[in-house]
Parts: sequence; structure tokens; C-alpha cells
Amino acid sequence: MNYFQNFIFGLGIAFQPWNLLSCFFGVFIGTLIGVLPGIGPVGTISLLLPLTFGISPVTGIIMLAGIFYGAMYGGSTTSILVNIPGEATSVVTCLDGYQMARQGRAGPALGIAVFGSFIAGTLSVVGLMFLANSLAEFAVKFGPAEYFSLMCLGLSILIYLTQGSILKGLVMAGVGLFLSLIGQDIITGKTRFTFGFIGLVDGIGLVPLVMGLFGISEILLNLERLAERIILKTKIKGLYPSREDWRRSAKPIARGTLLGFFLGILPGAGAVTATFLSYALEKKFSKHPEEFGKGAIEGVAGPESANNAATGASLIPLFSLGIPSNVVAALLLGALMIHGIAPGPLLLTEHPEVFWGTVASMYVGNAMLLVLNLPLIGIWVRVLRVPYKTLFPLILLFCLIGSYSIGNNVFDIFVMLFFGALGYLLRKLNYEPAPLALAYVLGPMVEQSLRQALVLSDGSFRIFLARPISAGCLFITFLLLFSAVFTFLQKKRKIVVAE
Amino acid sequence: MTMRRKLEPPFWIGMGLILCFLAWKTKLGAFHNPGPGFVAFFTGLFFVGVGIVMAFSEAFSKTPHDPSLDLRSAFRGISWFRLSYAMALLLLYGFVLNMLGYILTTFLMMWGLFYDWERKNWFPSFLASFITTGVTYLTFEVGLHCQLPRGIFPWW
Repeated sequence: MNYFQNFIFGLGIAFQPWNLLSCFFGVFIGTLIGVLPGIGPVGTISLLLPLTFGISPVTGIIMLAGIFYGAMYGGSTTSILVNIPGEATSVVTCLDGYQMARQGRAGPALGIAVFGSFIAGTLSVVGLMFLANSLAEFAVKFGPAEYFSLMCLGLSILIYLTQGSILKGLVMAGVGLFLSLIGQDIITGKTRFTFGFIGLVDGIGLVPLVMGLFGISEILLNLERLAERIILKTKIKGLYPSREDWRRSAKPIARGTLLGFFLGILPGAGAVTATFLSYALEKKFSKHPEEFGKGAIEGVAGPESANNAATGASLIPLFSLGIPSNVVAALLLGALMIHGIAPGPLLLTEHPEVFWGTVASMYVGNAMLLVLNLPLIGIWVRVLRVPYKTLFPLILLFCLIGSYSIGNNVFDIFVMLFFGALGYLLRKLNYEPAPLALAYVLGPMVEQSLRQALVLSDGSFRIFLARPISAGCLFITFLLLFSAVFTFLQKKRKIVVAE
Repeated sequence: MTMRRKLEPPFWIGMGLILCFLAWKTKLGAFHNPGPGFVAFFTGLFFVGVGIVMAFSEAFSKTPHDPSLDLRSAFRGISWFRLSYAMALLLLYGFVLNMLGYILTTFLMMWGLFYDWERKNWFPSFLASFITTGVTYLTFEVGLHCQLPRGIFPWW
């Protein structure tokens, strides 16, 4: 079957009533949680993961993916109207989006954010369709050495791009790796590091860990100082950008899409980095850089396109290599594995309905989001008026139900609370939880590929350098991590992170 | 150097050493046949290495002292009551959930969380927690067939 036939096959799956409904539910919930600061796609997908147990894997993945890219759309609304980013990927949108709203141009700001997201989101799905297939064919040749090195590279990119100290990022990755080792050994089956807790024999659950680190800790941070959100009292009119707005935004959208797409493919880099780099790029390319931060539409169009392009692209390593490039992709991986489907090079041949159905549903979902976010913008503005005092107990309850219902086990609630308190402390001490979570997800695969590679090479580490792809990945990894040691490279990194 | 910056390197070195010991007890295996503690042992060594680099970079750092990184400034102005109250309710929820069952435990916890300490008005929080418990029970137990604990009232 060629691409066109495959795509038609995928559309047939995406347009099945249940899949269409699950796509709508996913993008609707995604937009909702994108609008609401405090609960992100990670928490929501964790919460709704048990819901996918009883439905077909395609339907489940369509819904979860919808939440992922839907949240990117919703995040911009809060940034523009409240100056509080709904998602980490919308932080940059606050800079110019809110200023535009203050100047009475909330409509065009929201409009260009949605249109930019739609264009970038759709193009990234096209890229996903073509690249995942080719990469999967190539990845069949990958052995444990290549997988190990590729995962090391992904982790080091994430650590390199985290704000703050590289050393702290490294420590967090180490903690994540250790946590992933708790429970039964994947090869011998021996129980390790459980400290007498029966609940730890199967390891620490991904959902309680992620919900605690990101969901509970975020609520605790918000509870520190319970401030009321001030929504800008402006009439949202003229949602459709003018010809002049389009003229100014066309190139930023194109650049943001390209940048977001290529950064999204890299494991670890992701959508947040793409938005910051896109903003810096637009400021550099602009003839009027002084307008940035004062309501330049390019500052909204570029980053909003970048985060949506990165979202679609981040599914490429998941579907073609079986490597999740971020925590959300890891949850999607978990959802597939629950149904006995292992993502990787063979997914496209063994379960084409999952890949092509999801890809086709993403086109449909992007079109749904266009409708949800333009004519129905009023609904989301009303949602924003719900005070945090009312919202946070509900979010907490959903986290509790989510972590409990995964295994009908109270122990998971305590695990979630433990990681909530840990995440809060880590954030207060300037340790980023993202490398921990990604290392935790990649941990079992890192261990398995390392041990397999060593068995294959009879204990020689030369196997990692003898293979060109593996050697290349390790070379870049060392280059990135050694920048922590050399001061002149550290300064350069700080400039990249600051930009 | 602040107390926090002084404590961080020895903390991670100590953690690394403990991890190496635990990994050694779990059996390291050999390079040609790595055991269950193999990766954990190297993770421990990694902690020790990072801790040493951290100590050196702190000792020879020329960057001026940043007061915003102090422990005191990180935790200044926090409403400890609200934080510890929410955490205590959540912990209590975990402890009594299986005993009292989903409906009663959730209702009590939500009442506590919704309660407005500034206005001291109990009725809106009572109503909100009643509705929330009912709606979530219907959604998750009846609609999605999640097996929520029934506790001492089996007819729920």
C-alpha cells in the first residue's frame, strides 16, 4: 500500500463513529485543560488512561493524542487574556499576546494563534505520516547499542535545555533512572530496591509518579499564594486576522512550523524549547525588533505554530522507534503497551490501523479545534472565570481517582502524594522534574539495551563505538554534557537557554 | 557559599554511595553478563561523580552569591497553613478510603477542601462537595465501571 491508500485506510478508521466521538472528546478536554492553568496534558492523560482499558487501542490513542495537541491550542487563550500561561508551551505567548489584548486586539491575537496552530498542526501530521514510515524502515536495522545511545542522547538534550544547572539536571536524570529500577528485574525477575513494600514489587507506577511530580506539586505551588486571576475586560471582536496581520504572520508561521517540527523529533527537546527558539528567531528576523514584548503579532504566530508542530513531530520517535520523546509520549506508549501493542519499527506493519487511524484522526482533530477555538471562544473565556479556590479541590480529586483506579490500590495514592511533595521541594530548590520523569520512562529500555549490548559484545564497551549511529549519538551526548565542565561553553548554553 | 550550596554535593555523594552498596547487595554480575544491580551500581557512581563535580564547581565558582537561591527566600511568604492542611486532608483520604468507602471519604475531604476559611460559611462548601461526590461517583463507578471502594457501607 502506498501513502495515499494508507491514508484513506486511516480516514476510514478515524471516521468510525466511536473514533470520531473519542477524537472530539480528546480535543475538547485538551482545550479545556489547556485553558485551565494547573492541570496539563500529562495529568489529564494519566487520569484518563484507565478509560482506555475498555475500548479499542485505536480509539484510546485517538482520544489521548487529541488531549495532547488540543492542550496546545487552549494554552494560548489563557496567555492572551489572563497573562498566565495555561501550558508551559504558551509562556512566550504571554509576552506579546497579552499586550495585544491590552491594546484591544485580543481577537486577532487569539485568531492568529488558532490559525497558526491549525496550519502547523496539520503540516506536522503530514511530516509525521511520511517520516515515521521511512524512519521505521531504517530503524529495523537498529540494535541494542543504537537504542541505548539514542536514549542517552535524548536525555542529554533535555538536560542541556533545562533552565538552571546542568549538574542538577544530571542528578534528576540519575534519580529517574534509579526509580525505574525499583521492582522486578526485567531479565532475571529478581525483586530489587523495594525496601519491604509489597506495593513496589511491580515498580513505581508511571501515572502516580507523573501526577505527583507535575499535578500535585503544581497545585501546591499555586496554593502557596492563592491570588485571583484578573481576566482582561475586553470585547473579543475581529477574531479573523486582517490582511496586514496575515502578511506579518505568514513567515513566522512557516518558520515556527519548520523549527517546531525538527525540534519535536529530537527526543528531549520538545515543544517548550521550540516556542522559545521561535520567539528569539522572529525577533532576530524582524525589521522592528523593538515592537516585541509590546504586542507584535509575529511573537504570537511563531511560537504558537512551533508548539503545535512539535507536538505532532514528537510522535515520530514513538511510532517509528518506540522511544517516547517526552512524558506525554511515554503515557501514550504505556496506553499502547496495556493493549499488548509495542510501538517501534514493526508497529506500522503489525498494527497499521493504530498508526494510520491516529494520523488521520489528527487531521480531523485539528479541524475540530479550529471550530472549538474560534466561534466557541466565549465558552473558554467563561471557564477562565472559575476561581482557583473552586478549581483546585476538583483537580485534586481527579488526581486521586486517577491514581487509585489504575490498580484499585490505595498504595498508589500514597506514591502520588510522596512524589507531589517531592516535586514541590525539587521545584523550590531549582531542580527540574522533567529529566527525572523522562529518565524514569526511558530507564527500563536503557537498562535492557545496555545489558543486551554487553551480553552481545561479551562485556566489551567497544560495541557502542564500533557502530556509526551509536558512536555519533554518544559523541553528541558527551559534547553536550561536557559543556557543564567548561566555563566558556556554559556561558554559550546560558545564552541559548535565555534566548 | 550558602548552607544549601554546601549541603548539596555531600548529599548526592552520600546518596550515590548508599545506592552503590544497595546495588552490590542486589548482585552486580559481570560485564559479559550484567546482574540486576549492574545499572544501579553505575547510577550510584554517577551520583558520586556529579556530587564531586558539584563540590568543585561550587568551591571554585566566581559567580556572585544570588540571594534568591537561599533556602529562606525560596520558602518566604508561603501560606504554610493552606499547604499543610491540603496535604493532611489528602493523606487522611488515603488512610481511610478503604475503610469508609469512596462516597463518605470523598464527601468529607471535598467539604474540607472547599471550605472557605475566610468567610467561614459551611453551606456552599457542603453543597459543592455533595454535588462533586455524586457526579464523580456516577461518572466513574456507574458510567466507567471503576471499582471504587465501598468501605463499611456495602450498599453504596
